[in-house]
Amino acid sequence: MSENLSKALTELKRDEVLDTLKRRIDNNDDPIQLLEECREGMTVVGELYQKGEYYLAEMMLSAKIFSEATTLLEPALSKARPTEAMGRIVLATMKGDIHDLGKNIVAALLKAQGFLVDDLGVDVEPARVFEKVKEVKPDFVGFSCLMTGAFDAMKQTSEMLEEAGLKDKLKMMVGGGVVTSRVKEYINADFHTVDAAEGVDYCMKEIGGK
Amino acid sequence: MAKETMTSEERLWSAIRLEKPDRVPVAPLMSTAAASTLMNLDPAKVYASAQDQLDAEIKAFDAFGGWDGVIGSPLSAEELGLYFKIRKPGVDEGVTELQTIEEENTKFEDYDTITEIGLYPYLMEHLVPRLHNISPEEGTQLTDNVQTTLLEVGMRGLVEYQERGAAPLFPVWYPHPFFQLSLTRSMVSLTEDIYYHPEVVDKAMKASMQQYIEMGIEICQATGLNMCNCTEERAGAAIYPLNVFERFWWPYAREVVDAFWSEGIVTWFHLDTNWIKNLPYFKELPKGSAIIDLDGTTDIFAAKEILRGHLCISSDVHATLLSLGTPEEVENYCKKVIDEVGGDGGLILSTGCTVPGAIKPENFRAMIETGKNYELSKK
Repeated sequence: MSENLSKALTELKRDEVLDTLKRRIDNNDDPIQLLEECREGMTVVGELYQKGEYYLAEMMLSAKIFSEATTLLEPALSKARPTEAMGRIVLATMKGDIHDLGKNIVAALLKAQGFLVDDLGVDVEPARVFEKVKEVKPDFVGFSCLMTGAFDAMKQTSEMLEEAGLKDKLKMMVGGGVVTSRVKEYINADFHTVDAAEGVDYCMKEIGGK
Repeated sequence: MAKETMTSEERLWSAIRLEKPDRVPVAPLMSTAAASTLMNLDPAKVYASAQDQLDAEIKAFDAFGGWDGVIGSPLSAEELGLYFKIRKPGVDEGVTELQTIEEENTKFEDYDTITEIGLYPYLMEHLVPRLHNISPEEGTQLTDNVQTTLLEVGMRGLVEYQERGAAPLFPVWYPHPFFQLSLTRSMVSLTEDIYYHPEVVDKAMKASMQQYIEMGIEICQATGLNMCNCTEERAGAAIYPLNVFERFWWPYAREVVDAFWSEGIVTWFHLDTNWIKNLPYFKELPKGSAIIDLDGTTDIFAAKEILRGHLCISSDVHATLLSLGTPEEVENYCKKVIDEVGGDGGLILSTGCTVPGAIKPENFRAMIETGKNYELSKK
């Protein structure tokens, strides 16, 4: 049974994943176990992507299915025992940019790995990220960026965190279509990528190293 | 330093024909946002109308000494606002650059209509009325009005630029139907359609291609230009596997090029994201029938090895280099591209996608000046 749910997700069989989940929730199966099975499916999707057998399209579809699955599981999960998050990340597309596709994929992949994700959305002011970081003390701050006009908002956020002594308590990463090492240097981030899966790998490695 | 021996027009078409011009033709794809930055103009005023956008872009052209290849018509708020919700400087607070809001404006059930009448009549008669809450007749009228305005702006742009000695590239930005569908349906939803209902997407594409080709030829004939744009930001292997590309994009792109080429029109493929796995397919096209315009994500040096002697390449100075680099870094990159990609001809020096909104003026000047002087200084 476990293999079927995870395999269906890996094979992007949306209806099968959701139907199986509904049936097993009705059956009072352990929601944490069900979530774990979905995560296993997502892990295999990530592996296939790394091997070049899956593309961004499949990542996008699996992330959408996983997101729908967690929505289905939410009521049951909230009644179950709390699980400790793998880590916590504040994600945002900053002021001047409203693209969110890459950010949404990263958010779904990180949730699948057990991260708690505070997704602040798009066109976000630096002060909002700063306040959220002060409030939740995340392990990571992640910026998604497709517009050069958002570079300064990321830099400003980084400087605000630095001045408040918060930046060295977290890792900052930036990803998106226009992101190169120059952007990483400009905003003083720790990691940059144009690849959502690489971003997730980075978080996993950093958390593993803590 | 040697003197120029060609006009911009001659230089541009020499490169397209894969020859070695007197120097590389320079053709940054100007954006209104970049023109505002370069000229220190208020974006709210610049984006007030397509005519104002064009004025700003011409001011930038003049201020930086001009270049060879230009687009007559800016990508305007009027046009984008027809088919999408937009965020526009002067209307939305704090916005300095025109952006579209990607939503599922086209619903799954709309495929029936698209299959019946084609994508473009669907956009005019169904989507525009729905987005703007007007009748189908008013939708068609609104679309006609915007297109008439844009044609007027485009024609003025062509005249103004030609008076300045520049050569027009394509008349308007013209998304491949796949990209247009992805924008209006949303990327995630179109991807679901491709994987879960591929036959529906097939039918929509087949119903729309002839319209796309005919409109492209009409635009070229109306403007007297023999180059048509075909923009695609999503169909490459950075996003979709090759079997999707082979089914939903490539046959249509080939059909477009064949039809345009038979009318003497070359196709300017504006290809954002990494296309390196897709580029071998373009060797199937007639030699010299298209330009491959890359955005700095595809490895242009590897691209040259694939397309050498077959299709002209438009490079590719990365938005981040232009925004965050130094003039020396821009100059060095341009020289490397001119030497290694343009050494045997077939190169246009351009920006990776359009000139970025956060452009540094000194970097833009370095790109233009290097393109115009580097090869002549060696002769």
